Amino acid sequence: MSIVEVKELRKQYDPPKGVLAVDGVSFGIEQGEIFSLLGPNGAGKSTTISMLSCLLKPTGGDATVAGHSVVSDPQAVKETIGVVPQDIALYPDMSARENLVFWGRMYGLSGDELKRRVDEVLELITLVDRQKDRVDKFSGGMKRRVNIGVALLHKPKVLYLDEPTVGIDPQSRRSILDGILALRDQGMTILYTTHYMAEAQELSDRIAIVDHGKMIAVGTHEELVKIVGEGARVSARVDHYLEGMAERWREVKGVEKVEIEEDEAVLLTEDPNEVLPRLFEAAATAGSRITEINVTEPNLEMVFLHLTGRALRE
Amino acid sequence: MKLAAILARKDLLETLRDKLSFVFILLMPLAFTLFFGLLFGGGGNTDKLPLAVWDADGGAAAKQLVADLDKSSVVHVVVKQGDEFETWMADERAAAGLLVPKGYSAAVASGEQADLTIVSTQGSNGAATAASAVRSLAGEQVTVELASRAAAEAIWTTRSMRSGSQETVVVQSAAEARPVVAAALARPAVSTRVVEAGAAAGQTPSGFILSSPGMLVNFILFSLMTAGIALIIERQNGTLQRLMTTRLRRWELIGGKAAGMFLLTFVQQILLMGVAQLFFGVDYLRDPVALFLMMVSLSLVASTLGLLLASVMKSEQALIATTVLVSMAVAAMSGAWFPLEITGPTFQTVGHLLPTAWILDGLRGIVVRGFDVSDVLPAFGVSVAWAAGFFVLAVWRFRLSD
Ligand SMILES: Nc1ncnc2c1ncn2[C@@H]1O[C@H](COP(=O)(O)OP(=O)(O)OP(=O)(O)O)[C@@H](O)[C@H]1O
Ligand SMILES: [Mg+2]
Repeated sequence: MSIVEVKELRKQYDPPKGVLAVDGVSFGIEQGEIFSLLGPNGAGKSTTISMLSCLLKPTGGDATVAGHSVVSDPQAVKETIGVVPQDIALYPDMSARENLVFWGRMYGLSGDELKRRVDEVLELITLVDRQKDRVDKFSGGMKRRVNIGVALLHKPKVLYLDEPTVGIDPQSRRSILDGILALRDQGMTILYTTHYMAEAQELSDRIAIVDHGKMIAVGTHEELVKIVGEGARVSARVDHYLEGMAERWREVKGVEKVEIEEDEAVLLTEDPNEVLPRLFEAAATAGSRITEINVTEPNLEMVFLHLTGRALRE
Repeated sequence: MKLAAILARKDLLETLRDKLSFVFILLMPLAFTLFFGLLFGGGGNTDKLPLAVWDADGGAAAKQLVADLDKSSVVHVVVKQGDEFETWMADERAAAGLLVPKGYSAAVASGEQADLTIVSTQGSNGAATAASAVRSLAGEQVTVELASRAAAEAIWTTRSMRSGSQETVVVQSAAEARPVVAAALARPAVSTRVVEAGAAAGQTPSGFILSSPGMLVNFILFSLMTAGIALIIERQNGTLQRLMTTRLRRWELIGGKAAGMFLLTFVQQILLMGVAQLFFGVDYLRDPVALFLMMVSLSLVASTLGLLLASVMKSEQALIATTVLVSMAVAAMSGAWFPLEITGPTFQTVGHLLPTAWILDGLRGIVVRGFDVSDVLPAFGVSVAWAAGFFVLAVWRFRLSD
């Protein structure tokens, strides 16, 4: 059985007329994996997290975390999870350390154990030398790190992260993503939400694409991109006589289609690794030189476009 | 339960270390207490304090003392004898009274310790000032008397020394007199006893006695704003929701929030009463148990009302506007600004629908009339009932987020 099991979860705000924010979502998260919910604004990611955190009562369906129902046994669920909310939820007038100590107490820690965990977490979020500073004096990235640190104090079995990298600089984002991967390697199960395609791709063992409260696809990155049904796109420029080159490339084994778009040739192929050397070979034989070449693998962006007809805006 | 206590403690500390709330919680109420206290004639030290003197002795030393007192820059003497003296004290027409008992002059003349009784009245903080004026003047008088006697005695013992220069005789006499004077100065020349007159029943108190409890209630209600804003901000910044993802249960969250407000208002009461007790001469500690009950009542009412307002109001601005309005109206109708006794019966009846009117009666009763626990129990009951009502409504309307 999966550690998180979601069955036909539904949430309608202010029924009967309100928004149907989550519309019958089902998935399972295995112990020790990073599972991402990828979807645009308003897809229902936060609403799902809120229900799995026992903050919102579902209007239908149920979910279990480590076997405990979020509907009938919220207290047991809460002792299993750590929640990193989308918006920074800290006490701005308290220092980083004071925040961690207070939240640690709320998770039932005390005494030496509390002190040790606060020290460890400060180390983890690399804020040891700024621990005495008030949180409202911190940069966005530092606040985000404290926001995450709070949820790690009690070493939860399952960690929910709701868009933890929104609005921060690339370095902070990098360090957060590395931290999350490290936590997964230590055996933590992670539910991650994002609307950044690249982030989902890099982090996740499995990804669920959500839109308008519905889950429209789920699987590993490879499984998902197969949905698009297209291979990679290779676009190339040569030093002279593009049309002639395109004719020759059309004959190369593994190339499915060649079109000329302005001053470059666009080829479709299932396996760019195999095809690319042959393209260079053919060019050399024809006495042409490739001046520029780009490979675009199918990505989640294309999957989303393919499934919804809309772009997943970054 | 433990988590609720931790939450309450955090809330209290968070508020107390905010410099701005210090202004609202302590400075403003004290400034208003001072202002209204002086307005109600609480005893500014600019004028000489009227001192009623009953000279039951009539001897030379007593007459001298009264004359010296009248010349002092602190008091002016109003001589009143017997019943007249009692009435003056009961009506608080004098800042303090001085009773010079029979035998005072004789005691002074014989170099013995002389007794004086100072009568202080409730409505005035002038008693202490008057008492110290009396003490220093009477002490001076007795000491002068003692020193003169000692010198005379020394001269008497050294009179046989015919030979020797004037210088030697003076040195000798001084040496003889010195231990006697020193010994005399070592023990207090006068003993003063301060007794309280006790205001007559049904009398309207004045000065700080009036302003301190009133402003206390007014500003305790006012600080609901501080506590309420903190709760609204927590609802807006998501920490309230986040708290519910920890082990904290809903009732612990609400209970902890209410307890935090209770503690804040209780600490505020201790501070304000402490200052009033020490510097404004308002004697809150006449019955500590009764006082404790009233403090609990006020904090219960205030904290539950604060919780309710913060639960109902959506924004900070709405809360501020409402709290200012509610606290001002409630304070005024409860008699915090002017005693309800001076208003008509309708106003008094309406006022006493409010728990704060009862609490104010209780507090003023303790300070002025020496109320004990049984006297303040009704006020306690009314307060608990109101607080329970506020609390139930607050729990019903409590939201984690907007
Ligand atoms: N408290 C609420 N009351 C009513 N409607 C809400 C509430 N919260 C969210 N919604 C609506 O539910 C839908 C899903 O919102 P949700 O916040 O779950 O989306 P999301 O995927 O987290 O989006 P984002 O990427 O912007 O955080 C949206 O249409 C939103 O307007
Ligand atoms: Mg969201």
